[in-house]
Amino acid sequence: MAGFSELIKNFDKTRDYVREFFIYGCKVRSDFDRKSIRTYGDEKRRVESWMGDCMRYCDSVRGRSVSISVDSGHIPENPLYSAYYSKSFTDNDIRLHFLITDFLQDGHSHTLKEIVDALNISYGQFFDEQTVRNKLKEYVDEGIILSDKQGKTLYYSLTSDNADRFLQDFKGLDDALKFFSETQQFGIIGNSILKMLELKNDLFFIKHNYIIHTLEDILLPEILSAMDEKRYISLRVFSEKRRRKGDDIGSEKQAVPMQVLVSVQTGRRYLAAYIPDMKRFSAFRLDYMKSVKKGSICEDYDDLKSKFDRNMPHCFGVSFGIRRELGAVTPMKIAFFVDEEKEPYILDRLNREKRCCTLEKSGDHIYTLTADVFDPNELMHWAKTFIGRIIRIEGGNDNIRQRFYRDIARMNKMYGGDKDEHIQ
Amino acid sequence: MNIFSEIYGTYFRIAAKLLENEVTNEKSVRETINREGFRDSVLFLPQKLIPGNEDWGLFSRTADGDLKRIINAPPVKVLTKLQKMWLKAKLSDPRIRLFIDDMTFTKLKKRLSDIPPLYRIDQFRITDRFMDSDDFSNEQYKTNFRIALEAVKHRKIVHIDYVSGHGKRLNGRFVLLKMEYSPKNGRFRVYCYLLRNDKVKSSGIINIGRIINITDTGRYFRTPVSIDDYFSSRKCSSPAVIKVTAERNGFERFMLEFAAYEKHTVRDVETMEYTVELWYDQQDETELLIRLLSFGPVIEILNPPHLREQAKLRIIKQAELLENTHTP
Repeated sequence: MAGFSELIKNFDKTRDYVREFFIYGCKVRSDFDRKSIRTYGDEKRRVESWMGDCMRYCDSVRGRSVSISVDSGHIPENPLYSAYYSKSFTDNDIRLHFLITDFLQDGHSHTLKEIVDALNISYGQFFDEQTVRNKLKEYVDEGIILSDKQGKTLYYSLTSDNADRFLQDFKGLDDALKFFSETQQFGIIGNSILKMLELKNDLFFIKHNYIIHTLEDILLPEILSAMDEKRYISLRVFSEKRRRKGDDIGSEKQAVPMQVLVSVQTGRRYLAAYIPDMKRFSAFRLDYMKSVKKGSICEDYDDLKSKFDRNMPHCFGVSFGIRRELGAVTPMKIAFFVDEEKEPYILDRLNREKRCCTLEKSGDHIYTLTADVFDPNELMHWAKTFIGRIIRIEGGNDNIRQRFYRDIARMNKMYGGDKDEHIQ
Repeated sequence: MNIFSEIYGTYFRIAAKLLENEVTNEKSVRETINREGFRDSVLFLPQKLIPGNEDWGLFSRTADGDLKRIINAPPVKVLTKLQKMWLKAKLSDPRIRLFIDDMTFTKLKKRLSDIPPLYRIDQFRITDRFMDSDDFSNEQYKTNFRIALEAVKHRKIVHIDYVSGHGKRLNGRFVLLKMEYSPKNGRFRVYCYLLRNDKVKSSGIINIGRIINITDTGRYFRTPVSIDDYFSSRKCSSPAVIKVTAERNGFERFMLEFAAYEKHTVRDVETMEYTVELWYDQQDETELLIRLLSFGPVIEILNPPHLREQAKLRIIKQAELLENTHTP
């Protein structure tokens, strides 16, 4: 493994591997056949190096499978953050980082020439002006260094926003950092502040914690900025099906970004966007998105956003679909058996989980949920959490209703219930 | 401006840590790398820090063999623009007010007044959060949260008067171990031990939103407590064993939805079915059961027997309900 480095230049490829090891955890080397064996070996070793104790191995006749196994509800820090802390850099990058910031700690503003001279004379390290200028520009963009033009000359100084002083000045910020570093959005940024301050989250655990979302955060700044600037974006997306067939490049789509939709139950995040080619809204999974690039200004952005906001109350999840494909879909009605006296918690559950649907009492111990949603299919995954209480389903779409009846019959057979196969 | 940048990276952080002292030594370099670095960092990083052929030139060798930093002062710890933009975005999150009082909040807002937020709250929508989330802006809630958080931090013994999940009014003396937040429920809870005569009687979880009154007793719980022991006492004795098929993209959906669980997966290459072992907390068994049922016949609960039996009873009941009401 000559030339191996635990640091990486490109997050994209690594994102793929970390996801495969974390989500599936049962694939062996030959399952990664779209990559070379060398690439697999290097990526695996890198992930092993970052994740340490979270790695699990299982030997079988097919080979050794590698997985990242984490009880996400009982960890103080998302182990996948390590991937972000592994960016490669040049020798000059690290030298200039510590030397320039050290020199500027004198509290004064300095010109480029003064800085270059100081690096040479005070630290004995020679850098050409262009290299130092580029680094200064980069650090001005990062907000580490401030620049101030006096006449024709730029003067550079260090920002006064010292992290330790922030903690002293703002009581409670340390605890807030501990909490927000493990929650969405962009917990990784909070974690980077904690790490700088040598603090650790010792207070909070996050239940229902989809730590994998952090890998998608790399795409979000570009999307959010396109939303702010009301721009089109180009997305490169792929599907799991196409990837299995060896398509690693995916396809490019033009879209107008509207909102990021987050599911705290299914582990998925989506970008809801308008697709000009199809003249409709759609949702793209962030974990199936390879890259995002901002495009030109969308003149109709405000109109599209208003339409989007009018549409959202008819989304049970993220789908804007089925009505267009199937024509008009009547509202779906699901009647549930609930004994309010003995099991008030069931009624509580319906009320707190019904989202955009309405719930009304429609008989003795019967509550009917009405869902006027684009895609009743999305409703059924949730409705099946009430198996044992569904009295009838009306409206919606015949295929969806029939599938539910067939599912119950199959499950009844699967679990050895009585002979209910006549329910078709 | 990107979070995937070397300035936040592990190597920069280790170098900064070592540069805090004017003089260090090789032993300290290796220990710091072992402690703060990735597993293999010790193979790559020492030669970059210790003067030699490959080093970055951040240290010079002293006459007595130690390592002297070439910079004058410990490295600065400044917040980058990205970090400040993130902080600014958090000011719009009502939960930050649980940690920071009104005056501090106003001061922080003023300090970040020229910084744009990294995102706006309305750029994100949670599609399936429960509708009875905690009211983070309620003053009593904030007070209770802060007392509980202080108790967690300092292992203080507190007296709590609260309403249980079954609606019963209860009270007692507790030692609080950790806070838990669930984005699905939008709720904070606190892991605790109930005390009787200053001894641990039982373990539990209390929703902050159900606390009526919490009082600091002024006393501390000195007996060492292990959070691992707390969790292992609540863990299932044997994992749920689930057969998952590829039908309706079941495996991918299942693995994503249950990604938060510690699990072990085995694939049967002949049937293309997967067997997944899931470890879960006993008190969450019903939640696990209904989530498993929502996958329909795409998955099958194989073990433990009592979990399978509960699924079976619900399915039989469901089949009977449909038989009574459904006309084929």
